[in-house]
Amino acid sequence: METPKSENKKYIGYVVGGNLKESLRVRLTVPAQSVQEGSFVVIRSGDWQFYGLITDLQLGSTDPRFADEPSRERLRPEVSSLLQGQTLYTTLEILPTLMMEVGPDTDSSAYREWVEKHGPINAQPIPVKTIPSHHADVMLAGAGDVAEIFGEESKRGNFRIGNTREQGHPVCIDLSKFIQRSSGIFGATGTGKSFLTRIILSGLIKAKLASLLIFDMHNEYGLDDTASDTRESVPGLRGKFPTDVRIVGLGRGATIRGHTPDFNLEFAESDLQPEDIELLTRELNLKETTPATLDALTACFGKDRWFTEFRALSPGSTILNDEGKRIPAPDSVETWALNNNVNTLAAASLHNKMSRLFHLPYIVQQPAANGLNEIIKALENCQNIVLSFGEHETDLDYLLVSNLLTRHIREKWVELTNTHRSHPEKTAEPRPLVIVLEEAHKLLNREMAGQTTFNTIARELRKYGVTLLVIDQRPSQIYDEVMSQLGSRICGWLGDDDDIHAVLSGLAGRDALRGMLARLQPKEEVILLGWGVPMPLIIRSRRYDNQFWKELLGKSGGKSDEAIIMKELGF
Amino acid sequence: MSKLPIEIGRLLRSSLTGFVAGCRVNQPNLPAFGTLVRVPIHEKLDAFGLVYDIHMDDDGLVRQLVTSQTLPPEVIADNRNNRNMPSEISIVTIGRRQDGIISHLLPSHPPISLDVIYQCSNDEIRAFTTGGGFGYFRHILRNQELPAGELLTAHLEQARVAHRDGGDPNWFSNAVQELIILLRDDYPSLMSLLNALSDLPTE
Repeated sequence: METPKSENKKYIGYVVGGNLKESLRVRLTVPAQSVQEGSFVVIRSGDWQFYGLITDLQLGSTDPRFADEPSRERLRPEVSSLLQGQTLYTTLEILPTLMMEVGPDTDSSAYREWVEKHGPINAQPIPVKTIPSHHADVMLAGAGDVAEIFGEESKRGNFRIGNTREQGHPVCIDLSKFIQRSSGIFGATGTGKSFLTRIILSGLIKAKLASLLIFDMHNEYGLDDTASDTRESVPGLRGKFPTDVRIVGLGRGATIRGHTPDFNLEFAESDLQPEDIELLTRELNLKETTPATLDALTACFGKDRWFTEFRALSPGSTILNDEGKRIPAPDSVETWALNNNVNTLAAASLHNKMSRLFHLPYIVQQPAANGLNEIIKALENCQNIVLSFGEHETDLDYLLVSNLLTRHIREKWVELTNTHRSHPEKTAEPRPLVIVLEEAHKLLNREMAGQTTFNTIARELRKYGVTLLVIDQRPSQIYDEVMSQLGSRICGWLGDDDDIHAVLSGLAGRDALRGMLARLQPKEEVILLGWGVPMPLIIRSRRYDNQFWKELLGKSGGKSDEAIIMKELGF
Repeated sequence: MSKLPIEIGRLLRSSLTGFVAGCRVNQPNLPAFGTLVRVPIHEKLDAFGLVYDIHMDDDGLVRQLVTSQTLPPEVIADNRNNRNMPSEISIVTIGRRQDGIISHLLPSHPPISLDVIYQCSNDEIRAFTTGGGFGYFRHILRNQELPAGELLTAHLEQARVAHRDGGDPNWFSNAVQELIILLRDDYPSLMSLLNALSDLPTE
C-alpha cells in the first residue's frame, strides 16, 4: 500500500466523515495555514484514488472549554502546545469530484497480483460515485496528479493556462475540448480578464485547432497596447502571429491607433435585414410596431432594397395640393405608410430612429471591396480575424456589426458543413470557428438573446463547428439559456452575488464553490469550471509577459523572426 | 556494570490490582511517591506497580509520646529504630513481566506475603514504559481512589529522567500527548493533570 511518505506529496490529514452529496470531512494534521480553500487534494483509499477540492476549513475542539480558555496562560508552553495539538484541531471540507482505480503501490507484491487479476492499469478518472473510507490519507496533489487529471503540457492540444496556487504545478486545458462547446471568461473589471483572454487566444492561435473571429470592441487584442495600470507595453496578437492574424478595420479608410489594418470592412445596404434592426430594439428604443413596419418595407421594396429605399424617404415632407391644403409629399414616409396600410406615426418614428443607422459610414450602397467575403475566406483558410472597431466604439456599432457579420458566417458554416456531410469524400470539413465576443451581455441579455444569432450559435451551432467565447464582467446579465450552454467557464474574482450565481449555474457542488469564487484574489487567480475541465480548480494564471511568449513561441518570443519578415516581403 | 536491585520492603497484603509493602520507618531507601517497583511473584512472573501512598499508622507508644512535655532525641530515635509498626507503602499494579516479556496487563496471580519488593532501575523503567506503549496509564486513570494527576506527574518526572539518560528526550512529550488523548473528554481531570505537570521544575 502506498504511504504518504513514499510519494512526493504532502500528507495533510485523514478522512473522518462526510458524504457524497455534500462533502468529506478531513482532520487536518498540519497547521491550518499550510492549506488554502480551493487546494487540489488527493485521497488514497484502498485501490482507489479520489480527487477533490478544499471548500472550507473549520476550527474545532474536543470540548468547547479547550477553545474558550487559552491554555498558554495557565500551562507551561510545551504542555500547552501538546494540549492544543490534541484538543484543538482544524477540519477540512473537501468536495470530491473524481475517482480513479489505481491499484496497490507499484513497488509492492500486491500490485503484481492486482495486475494479474485486473490487467495493466489503464484507468481514466471518472466522476465520483463513492467515497473513501474512514482514515484514508489525504494529500496535497503532486505535479503527477495534476498532470494525470489536467493533462501533460507536452501533449498536442494541451495548453498551460496557469499553475496550482500553492505548489505551482502546471495546469493545462485541453484546447480541442475547449473549442467543442461555447466557453466563457468572466471576472469583474480590473481582474485581468483581458490578459487572460489574450493568453488563451494566443494558445488557440498557436495550436491551430480553430479559426478565431475576435470582435475587438476596445481595440485591445490586435495591435500592441499599453497596460492601463502598469503602463507597460502589451504585445498584440498581430505582432506575435504576423502570418496567422489579420486585422480588419471597420469602415473605409479606418485606422486603428494610427495603424492601417490589413483590410477594411464595409457593409452594403442590401446586407441589412429586418432581423438586424430588431436586434437593436433596446439600443434604438424601437416600438412594438417595428416588426410590422419592417415587414411592410420588405414586402414593398424587397429584401435587397428596403433599407436603401426607406432611407431615401423624407419624413414629414409635405406639398400643397390643388386645394391649397398641405398633404404628405409623394416621397415622404407618410405617403409610403398610407399606401401600404402602415401606421404613419409608427413609420415616421422608425425612420427617425433608424436615422442613426442611415448615417453610419460603414454602411454604404456599394462597398469598395467585399470585406465580408474576405473575412469568411480568411477564416476558412485557417487565419484568425481581429475586427477592430476603431473609432466606432458605440454599443450601436458593436451590436449591429457583430450580429450582421456573425449571421453571414453562420449561414456559410452551415452550408459548408452540410456540403461536407453530403459529400464527405469531395469536400473537407469546415474548420472549427470560435467567435470571441466581448461585453457579451450586450448581445446575449435576456431581451436580446432570442433575437441574435449568438444565442443560436451557443445553442445549436456546435454541430457545425462554430462556438462562442464570451467575455464579460456581468455574467448575471447573460441569458440563462446561453450560460447553460457554456462548456468551459474561466472566472476571475466577482463581487456580485448574482454574477457568482450565474457563473456557477448548472454545476455540481455550486454551493461549495460559491465561497471560493467570492474569495479569489482580485488579480491572476481564476477558477476553472464546467464541462471543458475535468474538475473545478483554482489556479494562478500565467502572466502575459515576455516569459509567456518565450515559452509559447520559442526563444525569440515571436519578435521579428527574420524568416517571417522575408516571407511577408515576398522573398 | 549493573547495580544490584534496591530492596525496599516486603509484602504485607495484596490483590491482583494492588499490594501493600511494609518497611522500616527510618529506612534510608524509602521509595518516593510515584516510584516504579517490581515484585517477583515466581521464577517467570514479576508484577510492576507504582507507589501511590506511603502510610504510617500510630501505635499506643507513639500516642503517649506525642503528648509528653519533653521528648529527648534518644527516645525519638529509639521509637523510630525499634518501632514495631512498619511504614506501609501502597502500590497500584500496572503490569507484569511473564517469561521475560513485559506487558501492561495485570499479572495472573497476586504477589504473596513477605515477597521482596524492589525499586526498578532506570533500565527497567525504560523497558517497562516503552514495552506496550502507554497502556499502563489505564490502570491509573480508571482507579477512582488514586490521586491520578499527582501520581502521573510524579511518575512522569522520574521516567523522563530515565528516558533522557537513555537517549530518548521525546518520551515525556509522547506520554503527555497520550494522556491528553485519553483524558480529552474529561476536561476537569485533564486540566488537573496538566496543571500538576506545569508545576514540575523546568529542565
